[in-house]
Amino acid sequence: MTSRGTPSRFLKSVLQNGVGRYVCQLKRLSIIFSKNAQSSLGVRGFIEEGVVDYAKYNPSTVVYVSPQSCRIPKIVAEYLNGNVREEIVTSKTSIQISEVLTKLTNQSGLDIIRLRKPFHTDNPSIQGQWHPFTNRPPCIGPIRPQKQDAEQGLSNI
Amino acid sequence: MVFLSLSCWIRSRGPDRYWKVQDIVKNAKHFRGRKNRCYKLAVKAVRRAFVYATKGRRLKKRNMRTLWISRIAAASREHGMKYPVLMHNLTKTSVQLNRRVISDLAITEPRSFLSLAKVARARQQEGFRAALGDGKEPVGVFSRVVLLQ
Repeated sequence: MTSRGTPSRFLKSVLQNGVGRYVCQLKRLSIIFSKNAQSSLGVRGFIEEGVVDYAKYNPSTVVYVSPQSCRIPKIVAEYLNGNVREEIVTSKTSIQISEVLTKLTNQSGLDIIRLRKPFHTDNPSIQGQWHPFTNRPPCIGPIRPQKQDAEQGLSNI
Repeated sequence: MVFLSLSCWIRSRGPDRYWKVQDIVKNAKHFRGRKNRCYKLAVKAVRRAFVYATKGRRLKKRNMRTLWISRIAAASREHGMKYPVLMHNLTKTSVQLNRRVISDLAITEPRSFLSLAKVARARQQEGFRAALGDGKEPVGVFSRVVLLQ
């Protein structure tokens, strides 16, 4: 809970995702639920109505539906950078589960930890970063070629 | 002979001690000495750390503001102005930039900061002329404040 004790990261996007094409970072969704338990009622309702539409709408994400005998229904989301996120969906309605799925789809797979700054630039300075000589007038004037008398004198030597 | 009281002497302790200890000691892993391993010492150290973190969140806002102010003061002194003059005249010309933005401009955009300093200087001169000259209308442009409705 301290800033040094907990991990933190800077804001970034995965390989500048939105600049050109947008690639959905969600690789795989596994919906683990039970066929007969009360807690998976909403999940079962969602699988009856919403899963196929979701899978058609997001062709780049693979959806696995695995009914097991489990006490708590879960949605396991795997991202392209390898992070795995588990959401517990006990006693959620079908609409709430679709909201959870949209949230997981819109996330990039980066860790959900403290962001040090809410902004990030690759080019922070446009006029040139300040250095101690920016606002000091130069003591020597502009460099010009020497006068011709001096040139002839030097060439004689 | 039947020994009945032997079984009463066996105690079953709580099953979660390891996780309760780890909950606290994991927050102390980056500490120095035995405080990062031993529970008794870690408890006190972790509590202090959390208290300092709470106090530090309020101090951080104050410290960042003083840092910005000192940076703006140094940058404006390079252009021959002082910090209070700069800020007062910027507010009078309704330039509503906060100290964080102005200090970032002074670092990464020195010419924009120079133009801000010139705006403040011009407004200051108009103020002097209005105070000393006793004219009917202000001569310059910067003292006309636009009211957006």
